Amino acid sequence: MKNLLYKEFKLAKHPTMFLFLAFALMLLIPSYPYYVAFIYTCLAVFFVFLTGRETKDVVFTALLPVAKGDIVRARCVLVVLMELAQVLISVPFAILSVRINPNGCNPAGIEANVAFFGLVLGMYALFNLLFFPIFYRTAYNAGRALLISGLAVMLYIVVAEGLVLAVPLINAYLDTTAASAQLRQLPVLAAGGGLYVLATWAACRKSVRLFEKVDL
Amino acid sequence: MELLSVNGLCKHYDSFALRNVSFSLEEGYIMGFIGRNGAGKTTTLKSILNLVHPDAGEIRILGQPFAGNETACKQNLGVAFGGADYYPKRRLRDIAAVTRRFYPKWDDQAYLDYLKRFELDDAKRVEQLSAGMKVKFSLALALSHDARLLLLDEPTSGLDPISRDDLVELFQSLIETGERSILFSTHITSDLEKCADYITYIRDGQILASQEKDSLLEEYRLVKGPLALLAQADKTCLIGTKEHSFGFSALAKTADTARFPGAEISHATLEELMIYLDKEE
Repeated sequence: MKNLLYKEFKLAKHPTMFLFLAFALMLLIPSYPYYVAFIYTCLAVFFVFLTGRETKDVVFTALLPVAKGDIVRARCVLVVLMELAQVLISVPFAILSVRINPNGCNPAGIEANVAFFGLVLGMYALFNLLFFPIFYRTAYNAGRALLISGLAVMLYIVVAEGLVLAVPLINAYLDTTAASAQLRQLPVLAAGGGLYVLATWAACRKSVRLFEKVDL
Repeated sequence: MELLSVNGLCKHYDSFALRNVSFSLEEGYIMGFIGRNGAGKTTTLKSILNLVHPDAGEIRILGQPFAGNETACKQNLGVAFGGADYYPKRRLRDIAAVTRRFYPKWDDQAYLDYLKRFELDDAKRVEQLSAGMKVKFSLALALSHDARLLLLDEPTSGLDPISRDDLVELFQSLIETGERSILFSTHITSDLEKCADYITYIRDGQILASQEKDSLLEEYRLVKGPLALLAQADKTCLIGTKEHSFGFSALAKTADTARFPGAEISHATLEELMIYLDKEE
């Protein structure tokens, strides 16, 4: 697995994997739907898969002494690293954002708080759950994978932001950066994290099974 | 010891099928894998490597079933599928740096020697290589980890005659110790005339012959003669008969050549064997 990850970073990398990490800065925008900063990770994942297809990454890798399933597992680990890096790099900007926001709050969407990061992990969970198996059914149809998982992510954001805006109880619970509320939001973070682990594991497992049947 | 054994390999597509493909290769030999375009050579090689998922059949590498031992089996394999057509923007040295990590028996000196032998500059990017150089790079990677069995798909295609001759010599030197074997598919049968010990001939997804090259060539003769002779001849003994204004030519089993008195009988080359056998439905 270590060698496969080395291959991912040495040969299969795409510049947006690193460039889009800078979009963590979007969390400093005083009035903004902060999910956008994290949607770009999904786009970077798509670019990695698309470039991999165009550079025949799968065929090169399949000729190496690795099991076919490990090719999928290594790619899933790479995506997890990209997503977690985006989340971790965004945390300090979220903290800074609360302190320097001239509005005092984010009128354009949910605050970048503890619950928000749980919801972001939930969003990544949904993306992974759809993107991986759709792609590995053929090992080339990255466009279809992005279209379906992208639409699902958009819908997820609309619903999540809609509920925060429209339901006063949810708004009071989730849309605040008050220090005391952060601890109370921890279950949302834990639920998002749990969902992320479960969905990514299930997506990876299913993708391994699908990829076994693909003729390269 | 059998380095490769393919047993009852089947794979069905809508318009093509590999049917019960079976052959084996002992250590210390070169086997040429021949057949026309679309006959199933690459599909067979890909099935051996599980790149294509076969419907049935068993593959053994060094006696070990490939299924369930994919990683261990691949350690003993050197594989080159034509030229390196992956990662066009990457430098050769970066691709080699990745490849070497996967093989505990990777030999840096051997790799450098092959680069020198093939006149490859590993600072170049893949896209800067000619078709022939891509084949050579692909071979350099396949040959540098002391593989026992080399599976090479069209390794001499795209190479100039001098490079091809050099490669054939290299293949012969590689099997000299008697521990390695090479299975290579090609259309360039003259390369096989020089170096192959065995020939496996596939037609329309089925193995027509898998035997020693000399015995295969000895089985058939080329028969040529005037059309008048053809009119009297027992055509059931002729294979892939071609008629032209000067007469006819066909292949016949060596044992049947006595049936054609007056005809010009000569040894057939592998290429002629392929042409006439393939013509015969």
